[in-house]
Amino acid sequence: MQPLSFSGPDMRALALIAWFVAALMAAPGAAFAQARLRLVATTPDLASLAQAVGGERVAVSSIVPPGLDPEEYQPRLRDLERLRDADAVIRVGVDYDLWLDRLLRQSQNAALARGAPGYIDASVAIALLDVRGAAVGPGHPHGSGNPHYWLDPANAEIITGNLLEALARLDPPGAKLYERRRGVFLDRLEAKRHEWQKALAPYQGRPLIAYHNNWAYLARRYRLNLAGFIEIKPGVPPSPAHMAGLLRTMREKDIAIIVRQPHESVKYTEFLASRSGAAVIVLAASVGAVPETRDYIGLFDYNVKALAAGFSRRRNS
Amino acid sequence: MSDAIALLALPFVAALCLVGIHAYFGIQVLRRNVIFVDLALAQIAALGATVAFMLGHPAPGAATYAYSFGFSLLGALLLAFTRAWSGRIPQEALIGVIYVVAAAAALLLIDRAPQGAEHLKQILTGTILTVGWGDLALIAPLYLAVAFAHWLLRARLLATAGSDWRWEFVFYASFGLVVTSSVSLAGVLLVFSFLIIPAAIGVLYAERLSRQLLIGWSAGAAASAMGLAASYAWDLPTGATMVCAFGVALTLAGVVRPFARRGRRALAGRQMLTAAQWCASLALFASAAWLIVAPRADQPLLDAAELTLPALRGLYMNSSEEELFRDAAAYAERYLREAERLNEREARSRFDGNPLDDHELARISSFIKSFNEMRRGEEFVMREARNRARARSRWIVGALAIVLALLLVPGSFTAVRRRLRNKR
Repeated sequence: MQPLSFSGPDMRALALIAWFVAALMAAPGAAFAQARLRLVATTPDLASLAQAVGGERVAVSSIVPPGLDPEEYQPRLRDLERLRDADAVIRVGVDYDLWLDRLLRQSQNAALARGAPGYIDASVAIALLDVRGAAVGPGHPHGSGNPHYWLDPANAEIITGNLLEALARLDPPGAKLYERRRGVFLDRLEAKRHEWQKALAPYQGRPLIAYHNNWAYLARRYRLNLAGFIEIKPGVPPSPAHMAGLLRTMREKDIAIIVRQPHESVKYTEFLASRSGAAVIVLAASVGAVPETRDYIGLFDYNVKALAAGFSRRRNS
Repeated sequence: MSDAIALLALPFVAALCLVGIHAYFGIQVLRRNVIFVDLALAQIAALGATVAFMLGHPAPGAATYAYSFGFSLLGALLLAFTRAWSGRIPQEALIGVIYVVAAAAALLLIDRAPQGAEHLKQILTGTILTVGWGDLALIAPLYLAVAFAHWLLRARLLATAGSDWRWEFVFYASFGLVVTSSVSLAGVLLVFSFLIIPAAIGVLYAERLSRQLLIGWSAGAAASAMGLAASYAWDLPTGATMVCAFGVALTLAGVVRPFARRGRRALAGRQMLTAAQWCASLALFASAAWLIVAPRADQPLLDAAELTLPALRGLYMNSSEEELFRDAAAYAERYLREAERLNEREARSRFDGNPLDDHELARISSFIKSFNEMRRGEEFVMREARNRARARSRWIVGALAIVLALLLVPGSFTAVRRRLRNKR
């Protein structure tokens, strides 16, 4: 994968060096360099899947650096530059990366406009969870559905299908290669999915608490019971009555696991853990959120291992 | 109930500790006229914590705290000099500049320390709800030590307020020590309330420091208890509710104050009544005029009145409008229940019984979506029925409200009575 982000004062020096190196290397490799499709994904997860399908024929980068919350991302100037030069943009959609719309308008890159061949919405044809329609109740920012659909590995088949279709349209000579690469990736994923299924099979139906509702797809795939969330409305701290309700649920259902992301508040999860005896485990909702999750498959390797360890520790104790 | 007490006991004790030290510092801050100094110090401390994250130290840890405190010491030094430097510019302006620059610098650094973003967010809202014994064991001795030191040095600190930069540094450094820990516990908003509001109430009612403190402490304790209870009862975020409770306490203190002076109670009462009458009359008049001009727009006063007393609708709706409204409300309720039932079924199928495949999931989702759209349609009908009734009866309702508004004008009632008597 590409280096995802640089910022700060050393950016300019780095850019200058990179420019020189690129200029030196461009001469012999010009034909090859031109053939590479420049893809910009909004999140590291989509970037990883695009890399898996595109291989050597594409240069992929992610706008949101690993570990940052894509829903609260504030675009930078260099994102605009990247989009100006891009051949295609890949977005999560489902109101998840809404900031992209304004960036696309500002970049004035006609190839990436909504409906153009370079505009790839990865959520097309995904069966979404938590769909509420435009009339959303209180506390549901995502009326059109829960946007964390990449966390079901079965959905990778649809996402890479969307990617394949778009890449074949943008770069017809590479279509065969893209198709082959996707097949290889899905085969590898299939084998892994068996492994993950087996690892989590003993814990089917087990209840757990999560900090925020990003695990619906993962839970559905492995049949885990998400029994409650600490933060229901994003950005609004939980009320004491809500916390008391969670503690009651945890007592009644004997909940042993509280899940949080690395960037989410330690205080509330530790508070619940200290009062209920449950264990807090850190899961990655996105590639690169913890160092072990280097690509899409690594993401599930890590999460499945963490979940299994969390559940089994409780069983033995 | 026992749940509530088990959950809120520690936060209440923490609030008492925080009010205890901050009411004192608040009186000092009011005296020095540096109201926003705690925001500046807290933000500098947050900048220190962000630097610590960037260097790879874990979020809650000794190193992070050390960085926070180190930065707030630097901030204290800066603040100690601001009075001498400020000259023609008010000192508050420089304090504001320190605050925004520290906040912006922290935002720049977050780029390199993703977990710092959460920390910065928490610095604003705080998490007083999750206070543990460990936190209390840390802050209680610290605050006692700072209070004792200030008591020992009281002659110096009070006499030289603002004149000698070395004593200013001692003041700001000790304040920074307190704020660094309190902000990480309760958040900037709540700590600001702890600092200023009890102190302001104390200063309103007393001259001597000891009495100011006593009044401030009692008011702060009462407001904390009310805020915590309200946040439990009404299912609201604790920090924000407590800040509002402190705001209410200050308002009450301001309203009651004129009555506290002996001999002027009757006058204060009359003035208050006149003011209240004018406010009510103007609000009613404005609502009536707004209803006549734009009957279909939001009518804040009328909407609020209907929300508390739905029977009010019967006063201006005719029977067919009322029936339409009731029908639509019943259907909206039914669609809501249907959508919820499907929702529950789908959510349950994720871990229990037969799993739904993607097709069934999509089908259920589209049903839920339809039910929600239909509910929206019914709600539109409800609004439309109400708006039509309002448009039809706006002249009568508006005129009645204007008459009521005129009667509420102070003195109008007696004037009308006098005129009637004269005619007779």
